[in-house]
Parts: sequence; C-alpha cells; structure tokens
Amino acid sequence: MVNLTIDDKQVTVPKDATIFDAAKAAGIRIPILCHDKKLHPFGGCRMCLVEVEQMKGRQIPACTTPVTEGMIVRTTTDEIIKARKMVLELLLLKHPIDCPVCDAAGDCDLQNLTYEYKVNANRFQDEKFQHKIDYENPLIERDMNRCIHCGKCARICDEIVSFGAYTFMNRGIEAKIGTEFDGPLNCEFCGSCVSVCPVGALVSRPFKFKARWWSLNKVKSVCSYCGTGCQLTLGVKDNKVLTTIYDENQGFHNGQLCTRGRFGYQFVNSDKRLSTPLIRKNGTLQPASWDEALTLVSAKLVEAKNAGGKSVAGLVTPRLTNEELFLIKKLFKDGLGSDSIDHSAGYAHAALTAGAAESFGSAASPSVISDIQNADLLLVVKTDAYETHPVVGFEINLGVKRKEIDLRIISDKRGKLSKLPKAVTYVHKPGQEVALVNALAQVLLADNLQDSTATGVEGFEGLKQQLEAFAPEKIAAACGLDADTIKTLARDYAKAAKALIILPLGLGYPGHGKALAQALANLALLSGKVGKEGCGVLFLGEKNNSQGAADLGIYPTAGGADADAILAGCQSGSIKTLIVAGENPVVSYPDRKRVEAALDKVEFLVVQDLFLTETAAKAHVVLPACSFAEKSGTFTSVGRAVQQVNQAIKPVGEARSDFAILNGLLAGLTGNAPYADAAAVFAEIAATVPAYAGLTIAGLGDTGAILPVTVKPRFVAAETAAVTAESGKFALVTGSALYHCGTMSRFGEGPMHVCPEGYVELGRDDAQALNVKDGDTVAVKSASGELRLKAKVGTRMPQGVVFAPYHFDEASVNSIAVGAPVTWVSISK
Amino acid sequence: MSNAPAEEIPTADIDLEAANHVIDKYLTLPGNLMPVLQGIQDEYGYVPKPTIDLVAERLNVYPSQIYGVLTFYAQFHLKPRGRFIIRVCVGTACHVQGAPRIVETFFDKLGIGHAETTPDLRFTFEKVACLGACGMAPLAMVNDSTYGSMTVQKVGDIIADYSQRPMKK
Repeated sequence: MVNLTIDDKQVTVPKDATIFDAAKAAGIRIPILCHDKKLHPFGGCRMCLVEVEQMKGRQIPACTTPVTEGMIVRTTTDEIIKARKMVLELLLLKHPIDCPVCDAAGDCDLQNLTYEYKVNANRFQDEKFQHKIDYENPLIERDMNRCIHCGKCARICDEIVSFGAYTFMNRGIEAKIGTEFDGPLNCEFCGSCVSVCPVGALVSRPFKFKARWWSLNKVKSVCSYCGTGCQLTLGVKDNKVLTTIYDENQGFHNGQLCTRGRFGYQFVNSDKRLSTPLIRKNGTLQPASWDEALTLVSAKLVEAKNAGGKSVAGLVTPRLTNEELFLIKKLFKDGLGSDSIDHSAGYAHAALTAGAAESFGSAASPSVISDIQNADLLLVVKTDAYETHPVVGFEINLGVKRKEIDLRIISDKRGKLSKLPKAVTYVHKPGQEVALVNALAQVLLADNLQDSTATGVEGFEGLKQQLEAFAPEKIAAACGLDADTIKTLARDYAKAAKALIILPLGLGYPGHGKALAQALANLALLSGKVGKEGCGVLFLGEKNNSQGAADLGIYPTAGGADADAILAGCQSGSIKTLIVAGENPVVSYPDRKRVEAALDKVEFLVVQDLFLTETAAKAHVVLPACSFAEKSGTFTSVGRAVQQVNQAIKPVGEARSDFAILNGLLAGLTGNAPYADAAAVFAEIAATVPAYAGLTIAGLGDTGAILPVTVKPRFVAAETAAVTAESGKFALVTGSALYHCGTMSRFGEGPMHVCPEGYVELGRDDAQALNVKDGDTVAVKSASGELRLKAKVGTRMPQGVVFAPYHFDEASVNSIAVGAPVTWVSISK
Repeated sequence: MSNAPAEEIPTADIDLEAANHVIDKYLTLPGNLMPVLQGIQDEYGYVPKPTIDLVAERLNVYPSQIYGVLTFYAQFHLKPRGRFIIRVCVGTACHVQGAPRIVETFFDKLGIGHAETTPDLRFTFEKVACLGACGMAPLAMVNDSTYGSMTVQKVGDIIADYSQRPMKK
C-alpha cells in the first residue's frame, strides 16, 4: 500500500493505483473524458491534469500516473483550472455546438464540463469538421464531427468485445475514428461503443429523437434474454421502454451489455404484442374479454382436476420470474394434481436437471461467473459460448487478454473465441464431445494425475472401468484429433492450479445434455477441481431464469411426463389439456412435424404469451402476458445469482402478468386466498426451497444474492451415443446465432439487424466444391425434411460440417433436425 | 495525405500468392505487421484491399487496425501506383532554380496532377519537399535514378525514355 496526499487529504491505496484511482477512493472528483473503469488508462483527453509537488508542480495526467509514496497532489489550483479550460476550448474548437438536436445532451460529459468550467467564449477559431455521418445501419449512428478522440469506442471494441471495428485513422488534424476502409460500420452491433461515448458522436438510433435524457424515468432491472443475468437500467417515458442506460457500476459486468440487452428491448412495446385475450370460435381466434377467457380456462381446468389431473400438462418457459414459476408448479401440483410440467428441460437443460443433479447432488452449477476471471485455464465446450451468452464471452475475452488465462476450446467448429490470443481450439468431429471428454478423464487416470480426494468419491471404481474403453488411442480416429493432442490437453487441464469448465446449454444444442454434463463433472471431480475458487463447471443456462426453473423444480420430479412425453401424450390423446406459458415448441423444440401434429390433437390448448407465436396460433385460448418490464419478481441466472426485476411500466394494452393470471387460476382451483404480491410468493419460496432459505425480495437489493450450493460428488458413467457418419452427407450441427436467444429475440431490433433470418454456414472448401457462394440459397435435405436456407460461407466450419441456428419460423431448422446432436444432410443448389 | 478515399479503391481480382509468400516469411516474427505490409507494397506497388483481409486473417489482427496503420504512415499506398514514380523537388534551392516550371511541364506532358497516376499505371507524379541534393537543383528522380540540373527539354526526354521501358520489373 502507498500513502499520498491529495488536496490535503491523506489517502492509502494499492501500489498499482493511479492518481485518478486514489482521488476516487478519497472521494475527490477529477474531471475526465477518456476514462472508463473497465478500460486501460489512455491519457488522451488531458482533462484530468493535476499538479504533483515532487514533480516541481508540473501538470501531469492523473489517469496514467501511478502513485508513489509521499506524493503530494493538487487537483484544483488556479493553473490547473486554467489548463482544463483551455483543453475544453480546444475541444470545442472543432466540436459542433448542436446540443439542441444532439441525443447526448444532458448525458454529455463535454457539455457538463463546459458548463462546470464556465467556458462561455472561445479564444480560438477554426472551421468545424465536415465528416460524412454514417446512417447506414439502423442501430448506431456515427457522427464523427462530434467526436473528441477519446478513443473509448476503439478501446472497448478491442479490449472487451474483441471485434475491433474502430481504429484511429490518418494523422494530425485529419485523424479520426474510422472503420476498415473508412466504410460504414459493419460489426456485431453490441453498442458498447455507444455506451461509453462521452459525447453524441455515437448514438443509439432506435432512441434517437425519442426523449430528452432528463425526462426519462430510470428503472433498474435484469435483462430477460439469456441466462447471464446482466443488470440493466431501463429508460422509461410515457409507459414505454425507450432505451437502456449505461451504468458502469452495475453488476459483475460493469454495465457491459450485448445487442440483445442494449438494442433488443423493443419487444416490450412492440406493435405485435397481443392486446386482448383470444378465444377460438368457429375455427378462428377472436378477441374476448378476460372474464370470458378465464372462466373458460378455469372450467376446463376444474374438469381436468376432477378427472384426476393426469390429462393436463404444462410447458413453461424459463423466462418467467421465480415467483411465476413457483405459482405454476403449485397450480399443477396442488391445484390440478398433475406432475406433468416441464420447461423443455429434457431438450435444453438436462445438463442441469439430470447431469448436475446426479454428479454434483443439485441441479446447479458448482461455479459462479466470477470464477471465469479467477481461473488459470478455461476449458470451453464449443465456441458457441460467445453466441449464446455474449457477456460471459466478454468475461472470457477480458480474462484471456488481461490475465493471460490459458483458453482451450473443444468444439465442432471455430468461432470468435478461437481468435483470442494464444487460444487453442481442438476441432473435433461433431457429436464426439462426450467421448472426447471421457478420453481426457481416462488420461488423468492413466497418468495418475487424479486428485487424492477422487478415489473416495462414490462410483470411482465404476468410472475407472468404464473409461478404459476411452483411451485416447481408441477414440482418436472417431474424434478426429490425434491421441497425443488429447493427452496434452488432459495433462494441461490437470496441472493448471485453477481450471474452470464452461458448457453452454440451449434448445439448439441437443448434444449438451445429461451425458456431456456428467462427463465434464467426472473430469472436474477427478482432478479435484470442484468447490474451489476459479474451478469447477459453469453451466450456462439458455434463458434468463433457467437456473430458477431448475431450482423450483419445473421439470418432472415425481414421475410426471417431461416435454417429450407430454408431446407424446398429446399425440396419443392421454393429455387433453395443455397449458403453454411462454414456450414456443413449434419453432424451438426438435422435430417440428411431430410437435405440430401433437399440438393439433390437444383438446384444449391454452397459451400465455406476449405474441401470437406459431404455437399460440394453434391455441383454443390465448392469454396476453407481460414482459419483464411490466412485472416485479426475481430471476436466477448463471452461477446461481438471484436478482431483482423491477416493474418499469404498466402492462401494455390489456395484458396481464403471468403472475396475475396464475395467481387467479390457483386461487380459483384451491379455494385459497390469492398471494398478495411477488414478495409474498418469494417468502414462500424462501421457506420451501432450501437454497433460497433466509432470503427476502427486499434484501436482495441492487446487487442480488448468490445462492449457496452443497456439492455431493458422485461419479456417473457418461454414456456416449454412437454417431454414424453417412457417406457423402454433411454433418449439420445446430445452435444459437449471434445475439439471438430463443424465439423472443425476433421481436428486438438489435438481434434482427445482426441476424435477420435463418442460414446455413459452410466452410470455404465445401462451398467451393458445391459451387456455392455467400448469399446463395441452397436446399438442405435431411431424412425428416427439406429446407431452403441462405448460405453463409466463412472460415469457421471444418470440412464436412455445416451449422444452422434455430430461432426462426420461416426456414425453421427443427423441420430438418429432430433432436440428435448431429443431423446428416445433403446440400444442393 | 495521398491515400485515396474508400470509394476510389479498386477491388480488382488480386493474386494473393505473393502476399501469402510475404506473410510466410514474417509469420513468426514478433511485431510483424509493418514488415509484412512493406513487403506486400514492394510486391504489388501498393497495398490492395484483398491483401489486407488476408493479413488480418493470417496474423489475427483486426482489419480496422491494419487500415489505421496504413493511413498513419505516408509510406503506404492504398491505390495502385505507377511502375515509375517521378518525384520533383520543390524545396527552396530547386524552387529558385525553376522547379515550378519543371512541375508544370510534367503535369502537361503526363496529363496528371500531384500524387496522381496515369491510367496505364506507368507513371505516378509527386512533388516532394526536398530530396537532399540541393547542389544538383533543380532535381527530379524516377524510382531510384536521379536527374540533376533539370530543364524543360529534359522532361520530354525522361518521359520518352521511361515510356519505352518494360512494365514488368
């Protein structure tokens, strides 16, 4: 620790702190334009000049000068004020004073500092810049005339996003922030640059001219797309969510968001939202009153309950709040007497609900998100972790670039993570994940690298026996990796003091199920890397509340039917009433034909959703539900973080929250009084779900809480499914497109600009052999169907492997993929 | 700045073999971006866009960053340059010895202006501040050859001479 004096205040800070950090710690504000706490110091704007007595009173930038023992710093002498005024005069020389029409007005650091330092006249004169404004994309407008060259956009895009869209180009007075060949912006559109821009050079187009900054009501909440659990601040006016507001002090991610979080909020106030309940009359869905719809639903549910409850089932999205999930579980168990309720766990979350539950003793990740930065080695299964959970991807980027974490990826394709410095991608043949991970575990045993605790864990002998079949030499050919490479990876993993395994989950990843989770758990347990900081296995649940759905038992626990069995039941007629809350099985579950046929047979289908989805279109009653912005409650995200969701706007149209709908139905069926509010339900969750014991909704505050987990380790043999290659055909692997999540992201402007439609991605060699160019339409044919998809040609895919994302209705990939990790397809023009 | 704005950059098919060769040579060298770009410019006479994408992919550098480097240094060119680079000194010594008339004559005879290239890609003309040989003023250079005590008549001779020479190196 170093002691220094700033403006006569004694400060003690760590020795790697800068004067700026020390002043901040002492509560002294130093004005600055080019600083963000997530980025490396830059020293570009010269606003943070301070005087240091030991440097003969020279003016030096506080943000790049490290502290030294006994340093005496002055931040507000007359000379400093004069220097800062001049910096502002020079910046205002070129900066257009178009504040009345600038979206940043009110939130502009330059405007605020000009006001604070009373720079009301300029001693200098010059012409303004005449740069062309980039209006080419619908999300980010770039007006380089307003730019003050702080470089934050270029730095965040490099340091955190690792896309590198921006650069300083040219020299001297001609220098500006530009893109490759000074063309229009063409990137992932995460909007990180917009969030850190201190002026209005980069503005969010969806928010442009929507509201003045100071007229917005700011409400803290949690993003409702993927399971990462990013905190965000919604900017609200006139009952509309108009924007998300950057706050560098929010959450583990320091306010960093992806396209979904930043530009994907439009679904909340979308014109396509359902405004009234719909009831099917004479074959068509017609608007009805809530009374009429709920009376009808209640009557059908009472009928089902009286018939014993076995004929009613539920498919629930893990996008609902914990409180809503609790209510629907209770509705089924206590109200209807049915255990047939699932959140597509078997399709998307079996790694948690079956894998982790058996191997670690509870359906939760033993690790938390902060373990990523604390690890020495990261073993990521599939590069898709970046696509499914971009902000987790940013954490990986940061860890690899700043802390030199050794990144190893086992994947069936390359991806953005593969490009990180020194990252090693082990590209294996599709569908071989489990065999490969088993082989890694086998190497640990063969080399005697297992941890001393491993031998005492239940199932050790059985595992040892089972793994004999997975010696690297035996599986190398099938995996497409040579035995020595596998051995090196296993040894490096075992020898790393702290190693974390990351496994993304989702409806697009049928291979990431129970067996893979167990194989990874075995590997972590064998090497003793569970239950320590920077170690373990982190399961990335697909949806915002996937972990909550697992915690609250939204999967068949008492012999009920899972999603697969529910659909079979619908088909066979044993399930007559089906409640679908927020799920869209028609597009997202495997084997579309089968799903559609099953849903068509259901006698009474109730769908609660924001939109008239492909599934809702088949319903007998559709109930308009509320988005996350219209309700309060909690989400439990990746790494077991429970966070509070706050209502930002009143329900849109006649929509009612799932909480209100379920609360009413439950009270009607059980005869009990309805719950007063979400807090009351949360109190009951805290009383009945052990992990939530002792928590209250109010006690979560802004930061939330990390749920405790007790690991009860057990080795379970991970079974491999045989992958039989079909000669002359391509291996189709499915997954998430960048920045899409489920089917809800189709109603967000951001994700739809980055990826507007389904596609099939091929490697260059395959494309050449097929004579297919980027953008051509190709026919993709599997045993179960045929699709016409746009081809995307790139360097990611190995030969013989193609990729297609699942989110889209038109060209819905589940009409050719039926839930196997690999689908064999032929491709023709 | 002699770099062309984006819309003027030709995107003709470029044979990337020479660029690949340059990259191979420096692949393992730390800080290899500058020598690679210089090598590519030596091969093609300028840095063609497809080679930037290739360098970005093979060296794992953002294309934007490469563009930043290319526009920062005056030595890099983003549009094709002539086979023969004619440089005429317009420094003080050459100026008083009549350099402006030499420049005007080149403009007239070549039909191009400063920092421009003839459509047949034979000549690029540049005015430069000083070539460091004031004793030979007025001075012109064509690639590495120096022509001292320039006259208006010599301009025609030089152009005629270089118009005969082969375009291939």
